[in-house]
Amino acid sequence: MHHQIVRRAGAERETLWVLLAAGVILASAALAVGLRAAPDADAPLAAHLIDSRTGLTAAEQGLYADLKAAGEEIAALRRAGGRAPTPEELAAEALPPFAADPSAAARGGHSWTLAGTGDGVAYAGVSAAPELAGSLVLRLDGHGADIWLKRAAEAPPAPPEDAALTAAGWKRIVSTFTAGVTR
Amino acid sequence: MSILLNRRLILAGALGAATAAAVPVRAVAAPAGRRRFGVTLHPYYSYVANIVGDAAEVVPIIPAGFNPHAYEPRPEDIQRIGGLDAIVLNGIGHDDFAGRMIAASAKPSLPVVESNADVPLLPAAGTAARAAGKVVNPHSFLSITNSILQVATIARELGRLDPDNAAAYAANARAYARRLRQLRADALAKLARAGNASLRVATIHGAYDYLLREFGLEVSAVVEPAHGIEPSPAQLAETIATMRKLDVQVIFSELNFPSAYVETIRRETGIRLYAFSHISHGDYAPDLFEREMARNLDTLVLAMAEAAP
Repeated sequence: MHHQIVRRAGAERETLWVLLAAGVILASAALAVGLRAAPDADAPLAAHLIDSRTGLTAAEQGLYADLKAAGEEIAALRRAGGRAPTPEELAAEALPPFAADPSAAARGGHSWTLAGTGDGVAYAGVSAAPELAGSLVLRLDGHGADIWLKRAAEAPPAPPEDAALTAAGWKRIVSTFTAGVTR
Repeated sequence: MSILLNRRLILAGALGAATAAAVPVRAVAAPAGRRRFGVTLHPYYSYVANIVGDAAEVVPIIPAGFNPHAYEPRPEDIQRIGGLDAIVLNGIGHDDFAGRMIAASAKPSLPVVESNADVPLLPAAGTAARAAGKVVNPHSFLSITNSILQVATIARELGRLDPDNAAAYAANARAYARRLRQLRADALAKLARAGNASLRVATIHGAYDYLLREFGLEVSAVVEPAHGIEPSPAQLAETIATMRKLDVQVIFSELNFPSAYVETIRRETGIRLYAFSHISHGDYAPDLFEREMARNLDTLVLAMAEAAP
């Protein structure tokens, strides 16, 4: 007598293979995501630095951009005239933020003075409204410009050198270039 | 045979005419020794044209009439890159397609000028804001100060690539920067007569932060989820509630993007509405940036004057 065992209808084996395949896909996806994860947040800035994108008020961001642009123009005026222009001369040229216009008033009403730094010049702007924008220092030497901030209606130490500024609680503003995220 | 030849000639002529009509960009070969610098966006055409003057040719790689927010590279545009000596890019999100076009072109190692290398960038606004400020607002060209910074960078970098004309580029850039500064000074002089310089602002497109910061203004709310995408009814209701809560005085919309939802916001809130130019329409022209920015500054001054108590 011939016996034949017929397996009952079902798809257990196929289901197992599908589940196994899904598991392999999920595991490889998890591995790929784990390996290609974006790096953690950048190292925090040193205590004497402040980031222009995240650390400044709207008014300070505008003033910082203006001071960077003014640095280029002042350098050109120094080369042409052989001396540093005074804040009054810069205001007469309508050069922000030295020009006394409604924008200057809305962004802290800074009063600007010229100071020497040994090998360069500095423009100190004392804020009349530190809650809108802190006091600022633009320093220029032969190599470029740097800009310092303190949220107080306070003049910088003289001369405004790195160590003196840092000791008095001033912070140097730094900005970073970030390329488009889909480049 | 002659009929066949004539047909071919007519067909070739028609194809040529159609191509010329579809690509209304100057593609005239530069005289020998004259450099060709590519640009992707309208403001950068104006910047570079004013920097180089007659010393070099400025070549837009995207034909006028394309929206840079929704542009997809086309073979004929990629082909144009092969004839360039360098390309000037926004590089921070408004022309990210350019990198892929350069890689696919006949000159994959084309020198690139990063205009925004020295600009203090702001984080993206509205729903584009993410990754702890690492996604930046790419509209740095909608600002006088940041345009001056970009013009200085472009002039310096093009001078490095074309040393014979470096001094001319630097002098032209400075003269152009002075004209741009004067635009802002003229606007602020009008504002001084108006007497008020504070405003609570909402914008339809998150493009105008750089411009508003020149006047000490900050955007309280951005309405549009993404450029050209209208908010859903739920988002619109939430926006209207937010504007009432923040007591927004002025909404800045965008020229050339008329939309029913903007009118809904105006009607529901009663807030005054003004339109800025994004400077991405019309023919490429050296004076386009100055014309459009003068109009933007006038719009801003008008808004501030009308909101004055």
